[in-house]
Amino acid sequence: MYLDKLKLKNYRNYENVDTTFSPDINVFLGANAQGKTNLLESIYVLAMTKSHRTSNNKELIRWGTQFAKIDGTVVKETGSLPLELILSHQGKRAKVNRLDQAKLSQYIGKFNVILFAPEDLAIVKGAPMLRRRFIDMEFGQMSPKYLYALTNYQAILKQRNHYLKMLQQKKASDQLYLNVITEQLIEYGAQVVVARQEFLQRMEHWAQEIHKTITLDQETLTFAYKSQVPTEALTDVKAAQAALQELFEKHRQREIEQGTTLVGPQRDDVVFLINDKNVQNFGSQGQQRTVALSVKLAEIDLMKELTGEYPVLLLDDVLSELDDARQTHLLKTIQHKVQTFLTTTSLDGVAQDIIQNPRIFHIEAGQITTD
Amino acid sequence: MQQYPQPIANLIDSYKKLPGIGDKTATRLAFYTIDMDEDDVTKFAQNLIAAKRDLHYCSICGNITEQDPCEICTDKTRDQSTILVVEQPKDVMSMERMNDYHGLYHVLHGVLSPIEGLGPEDINITSLIKRLQKDTVKEVIVATNATPEGEATARYIAQLIKPAGIKVTRLAHGLSVGSDIEYADEMTLIKAVEGRQEM
Repeated sequence: MYLDKLKLKNYRNYENVDTTFSPDINVFLGANAQGKTNLLESIYVLAMTKSHRTSNNKELIRWGTQFAKIDGTVVKETGSLPLELILSHQGKRAKVNRLDQAKLSQYIGKFNVILFAPEDLAIVKGAPMLRRRFIDMEFGQMSPKYLYALTNYQAILKQRNHYLKMLQQKKASDQLYLNVITEQLIEYGAQVVVARQEFLQRMEHWAQEIHKTITLDQETLTFAYKSQVPTEALTDVKAAQAALQELFEKHRQREIEQGTTLVGPQRDDVVFLINDKNVQNFGSQGQQRTVALSVKLAEIDLMKELTGEYPVLLLDDVLSELDDARQTHLLKTIQHKVQTFLTTTSLDGVAQDIIQNPRIFHIEAGQITTD
Repeated sequence: MQQYPQPIANLIDSYKKLPGIGDKTATRLAFYTIDMDEDDVTKFAQNLIAAKRDLHYCSICGNITEQDPCEICTDKTRDQSTILVVEQPKDVMSMERMNDYHGLYHVLHGVLSPIEGLGPEDINITSLIKRLQKDTVKEVIVATNATPEGEATARYIAQLIKPAGIKVTRLAHGLSVGSDIEYADEMTLIKAVEGRQEM
């Protein structure tokens, strides 16, 4: 799929934008603080209904105005699809084919994007929470069932933590209610861990291949899903339920004493290994970058496998972070396959012989001009 | 700046207490009210007071009613062996509209949600259990909403009642009647397939 047209109204520093993109590579070129990333972000928001940079949607509305509007025409194999997202101080409204969508979960997934920003290097280096968020965002886009299980899991987890706190402070004593929400948590939790395991294995398959090519067959990349649920129980929802059941029974007393949930997918992690060594602890900066790149590129193929179409790739200031060999590999992989938007301050460093006929958008103080 | 005379300001304030009504709408409604016939305004005010004064909660099922116990609870022609449990009084109206259920009701006035401070004592569960101690009830249908909290409440009630040997059932999830599969969202479809029935 690709984004054909984009219209913005009162989005960040853009008052009015009406532009058409190339189905291949689009470059947003300009000095710092002119709005390159804002423009890229608007495409991300159109797909995900939220920004990767802030959790506060009000920041996306141009200062002094009431609402921001992002209007896009996405071309899929089945035809073109108009999407519209309105962000106001009251909340957001999403339209597909000009029809209001009552639930955002019905909107998300219509337009798939993959974003690679310098912060993404943190999925290898950073805290487990960042990896979980990465998994949840990406898999949620690909599977409505995963999104549903995860959203319900999180809602029940919140209630349960609150209730455990009440039990701890002796403001409540009903054990039956605790049993009931624990049972619910186990059912959704089992679905979440099994889906994560399955997605990670599929992604590993693609990432391994890409990583091999980038490192000229020197390195084998593997993923290990770290869950409290034993690996052998991760292939089947019933088995995962039984394993979680046992864990919850074991920790019940401690959970009440500490007033919080101690078991479940909210404590999971993923470990990336190169030739069986943990990249987070033992990898060089360069290796960590390559792994992040392989994982992101694998997502493109995984998305194609699961949804039947390639997503749109957004690269925020990433080229400057990569050396020439990795840049070349990245651009070779995506060229003529995936519509790509990239931001950069100059085209000098970019392997120009590789990018053929990019469409260049010059960005200056919220104004866009094309060559 | 010119101030509104006190009676209008008071009226605007009152209208603003209604859900979905802000400053502008309240002002428009207030000025419209001034232009209305005095009879209509009096009737309006009487209706407001009557709705509050003459309506009670049924001491048996918790539904809103003019007389206590309510019409449904006192109707001996209704099936006394089934109780349908709902979250809100308006859910009773929806169920009655289908004109196909002839049992009794029980209104919880909420669902279990520790975050909102609603525990089992805060919703109408105790009175439900009390009703079940009379031997007439054979089945309890739990019709809470299909939200995580609605689901937890349904399970909680089921766990409480089952030991007494009363049948507990839950509403089905699935496609709405007369609708195209094409327009159903993914989760509804998944639930509909899960809950499929043999033909």
